[in-house]
Amino acid sequence: MSSSLPIEVRGLAKTYRLGFWMNRQVRALQGLDLEVQPGQVYGLLGPNGAGKSTTIKILMNLVQASEGTARLFGLPPTDEEARRQVGFLPENPAPYEYLTGAEFVTLAGKLAGMSGHELDQRVKEVIGMVEMERAAKLQIRRYSKGMIQRISLAQAIVNRPKLLILDEPTSGLDPVGRRQVRDLILAERQRGTTILFCTHIISDVEALCERVVVLVGGRRVREGSVRELLSGQAPVVEMTVEGLSLGQLQGFGHELTYAQDFGDRVLLRTGDQAAQLLLQQTLQAGGRVTQVQPTRYSLEDLFLDALKEARHGTVGGEIS
Amino acid sequence: MIREFGALTLNGFREARRNRVSVVVAVFTLGLLLSSTLVTDVTVYTFQRVLADVGLGAMAVTLVLLAIFLSSGLLTREIERRTIFLVVSKPVSRALFIVGRLAGNMLTLAVLLLAMSVVFFTQEALYGMAVTRPQVVAAGMLWVELLVISSVGFAMSSFASQLVSAVVTTGVYFAGHLSADIYNLASRSESGLIQWVGKGVYYVLPNLARLNFRPQASYEVVTPAMDILQSAAYGIGYAGVMVALAVFIFSRRDFK
Ligand SMILES: Nc1ncnc2c1ncn2[C@@H]1O[C@H](COP(=O)(O)OP(=O)(O)OP(=O)(O)O)[C@@H](O)[C@H]1O
Ligand SMILES: [Mg+2]
Repeated sequence: MSSSLPIEVRGLAKTYRLGFWMNRQVRALQGLDLEVQPGQVYGLLGPNGAGKSTTIKILMNLVQASEGTARLFGLPPTDEEARRQVGFLPENPAPYEYLTGAEFVTLAGKLAGMSGHELDQRVKEVIGMVEMERAAKLQIRRYSKGMIQRISLAQAIVNRPKLLILDEPTSGLDPVGRRQVRDLILAERQRGTTILFCTHIISDVEALCERVVVLVGGRRVREGSVRELLSGQAPVVEMTVEGLSLGQLQGFGHELTYAQDFGDRVLLRTGDQAAQLLLQQTLQAGGRVTQVQPTRYSLEDLFLDALKEARHGTVGGEIS
Repeated sequence: MIREFGALTLNGFREARRNRVSVVVAVFTLGLLLSSTLVTDVTVYTFQRVLADVGLGAMAVTLVLLAIFLSSGLLTREIERRTIFLVVSKPVSRALFIVGRLAGNMLTLAVLLLAMSVVFFTQEALYGMAVTRPQVVAAGMLWVELLVISSVGFAMSSFASQLVSAVVTTGVYFAGHLSADIYNLASRSESGLIQWVGKGVYYVLPNLARLNFRPQASYEVVTPAMDILQSAAYGIGYAGVMVALAVFIFSRRDFK
């Protein structure tokens, strides 16, 4: 039953037209495919302007796709029934500032079809989950950025959605708040909620996501389960060498993925095999190896590699 | 759907209240009290006529300005401040959003109109004047006029900026009161083109003179109920067309 996937995106493209004559174009998305299975936590990664928010806006019916299709539970985003099962936190959320936090979450619940005692209970509950009890009766215009982020998160989960779409959920939060949001996402996953979220904080993705997609310039450049993407890579060893210059070390002829000369020491990274030889050669040449550390190929490395492959600049979409 | 509509409407009213629109009533009351002390050097009959004219006229001017201000900025502001993201992403159609927001505005205006009417009728009573039926009709039909103006403001602000919407809506208000004159003037012209344009303007603009029952109140002319109903139906119908237009444009918009 592929039609009941929480998110299914096929060949999605978005071109923003600019200027008085609409003759300038920004290609924000170019033929994106995406499939999110029920219960998955799915990470959307990419540099600034890669098209992450554009994808999310299309899914939430805020922006219309230029080409391709997007489906939520098999329905187009324009269908209210599709959105009924979704909780959404936009990037830089802007709740009505003349309302108090509690009033805003209540309004969100009402617009999602909740009412009465059940709604009141649930509003209290979610406000507790984001630790906003103390400020719940304060008008939102008096909130700090992180408090706005928290109350907006509360309104996203108030209707117990089956799918959560979060655009940079931890932006603006203090370290404790970030940990809380991570815990909240984990708790939602325990409940079986499907979650799509985008972020620039790679450690969050590593801690939370089963699958990721990396977008660059509106195109998908990596996609897959986090474990597969990382385990396929050869292990890397990081070494610190004293007593030899970078030039001397490079003279041994091994491929170094990273090398930095600090004057008194050289820091370098190389593959597992090369490291063994390099170690011997360094010692023979009279150098001192003060540190050897095998490092895991991290999601950050994956992300940076993906960016390196993008031939043109990585920030933003194509402009013509 | 009814529940979501109600939530939007009441929230709009709450917004207006929190933004202290009640000040408008206070200013109106003060102005009314002041004006009645200024008019002194006339006969009792004229005094009462002037008082009634000033009261209804001030009500109309204040509320029309407020209606233009509220309606022309509403959608634009929601988009600019990005508050719309959190509402339109809910299981609420854009049509319901527009209608609910307009209803919130109309509720605000209705409450203000009611409050002003109470002030005005109390003042009349204090000067020993009777509250007449034409006066009540004029006040009630003012609400229909406000509905027409607000719906034009919504239609404009579904695509234009706040300033443009406000200017155009104000223009429509004045031209709307003159639309019958424009029609008559054009029909006397020799040129077929001008006649045709005059007719076009007449049918596109709202005929606000038809909703203005303040002259009748001033001369204490009782209008048959049927005429009042027809005029009200005309106003509501015109507003309906404008709302449909606003929904049509708004539903196709990107919010970014
Ligand atoms: N309203 C708009 N008009 C024109 N171009 C736009 C508009 N919104 C976004 N874009 C363009 O679309 C591209 C993708 O933007 P998007 O907001 O989706 O990026 P993002 O991946 O969310 O970036 P960030 O990490 O900075 O939030 C960018 O090149 C941007 O310039
Ligand atoms: Mg973004």
